[in-house]
Amino acid sequence: METHSRLTFCLYAWGANSYGQLGQSHVEDQCVPRLSDSSALQGRTVRVVDGGGGHSVVLTESGEVFVCGQNDRGQLGLGHSTNVLTLQLCPVLNHRVAKVACGWDFTLLLTDSGQLFACGSNAFGQLGVGQTVTHSSELLAVEVLKEPVVSVAAGLRHSLAVSASGSVYQWGTGLFNHAKRALSPHLVPSHLNSKLPCPVPEEGELFLWGCNKHGQLATAEPFLPSPTLLNRSLLKGEKVMRVCSGWTHVVAQTERGRVFTWGRGDYGQLGRSASVSENEEMLMGIRKDCIPLEVTSLYGATQIVCGSEHNLAIVGGCLLSWGWNEHGMCGDGSQADVFHPRLVSDLRPVVIGCGAGHSMAVCGVTTSLTQNSVHTWEELEHKQSSPFTE
Amino acid sequence: MSVFHDEVEIEDFEFDEETEAYYFPCPCGDRFCITKEDLENGEEAATCPSCSLIVKVIYDKVELFMSGETVEAPSEPKLQQVQT
Repeated sequence: METHSRLTFCLYAWGANSYGQLGQSHVEDQCVPRLSDSSALQGRTVRVVDGGGGHSVVLTESGEVFVCGQNDRGQLGLGHSTNVLTLQLCPVLNHRVAKVACGWDFTLLLTDSGQLFACGSNAFGQLGVGQTVTHSSELLAVEVLKEPVVSVAAGLRHSLAVSASGSVYQWGTGLFNHAKRALSPHLVPSHLNSKLPCPVPEEGELFLWGCNKHGQLATAEPFLPSPTLLNRSLLKGEKVMRVCSGWTHVVAQTERGRVFTWGRGDYGQLGRSASVSENEEMLMGIRKDCIPLEVTSLYGATQIVCGSEHNLAIVGGCLLSWGWNEHGMCGDGSQADVFHPRLVSDLRPVVIGCGAGHSMAVCGVTTSLTQNSVHTWEELEHKQSSPFTE
Repeated sequence: MSVFHDEVEIEDFEFDEETEAYYFPCPCGDRFCITKEDLENGEEAATCPSCSLIVKVIYDKVELFMSGETVEAPSEPKLQQVQT
């Protein structure tokens, strides 16, 4: 019998699910990867998955946006504020979306022409549209940025954008009162508390700024009001190519593929033991949690994403997870924190993403088309969800 | 007593008029909550309804609740009235 095998892609999600952010038509937490209902995608290829506090966003190769989960502030951009339990198309009329960034309860969409749209909560000015609205379920254009935007990021209550000319803009507010007390008697600089996109001073390689309660800025200072260059010697002299951040820990990958972590690690967020020899600590002159250390098992990772206190990575085509696991976001079937990167079942991930307490992975599944085929995803999962095919 | 996940200043919480409670994001996706009443009673732990994490709320009880209530200083006319 002739055997054809077909590679299909399925969206899996697991972890916290209070608002339906896993896209599985229910609100039960899942501690192992489960198929999400991706019927709305109708076979489209997924390029990016990202999540906020309680919502998820899927971006397809063709520039369409699908959303699910919490919507109390209109963060799904659907024109209403009712939670949605399965992925739904978010209409971004006449635009192809190139990038997405989910904040806690807001969403930023960047089109391929460099135009930025925002929806969700604006309680802290995080939408970058001024103070006129408290929140919006309609997509609002962020018009203050006069030049095209090439990259966006969103935090708890603040946003960042990089313009085509390489300028970095920031708006919204972090923990303003914490900043105010930490910096007193100095004033909080305007980029840390702006209702409209505000240029961030400095240019260079990897800069860190803001709160340093857990050593996430790799310095001994309690708070850095302005971008401060990370000393490259802390990363064995290598240039940083990629960086991602949880709430209080940082994961960076260097030009040679080495992965370093620093900041808070009490739930296993750093994927390594905290031990630094006394000697080394004294040499650096900083707290030991601030010192970036390599996690060798992550060497050569092709993707790394951070949730609030957990992480996912693709290394050698395999999915690894580590960190806080109370809601099963590490996907190992337990709720015990994972202190070293650990294999998540036998999934073959191609795209990964995290919300605060949930995890998502688009995985390839080889389906044999012969009659006597075994282990197709349908047989394994007995789910109503349809896979999307490349 | 469990260990606090974090310490957060009350001003960094969001106040909801309807529930008369203060909210702050929890890493699980839900929100830490402490009611105004709890604070008035000296409670300092904000809890998350969905998980085990709790945060310590940093606040000055006197500053938070007393500053709004102005105790009027007796004015001259009133004093005279009492005396007469």
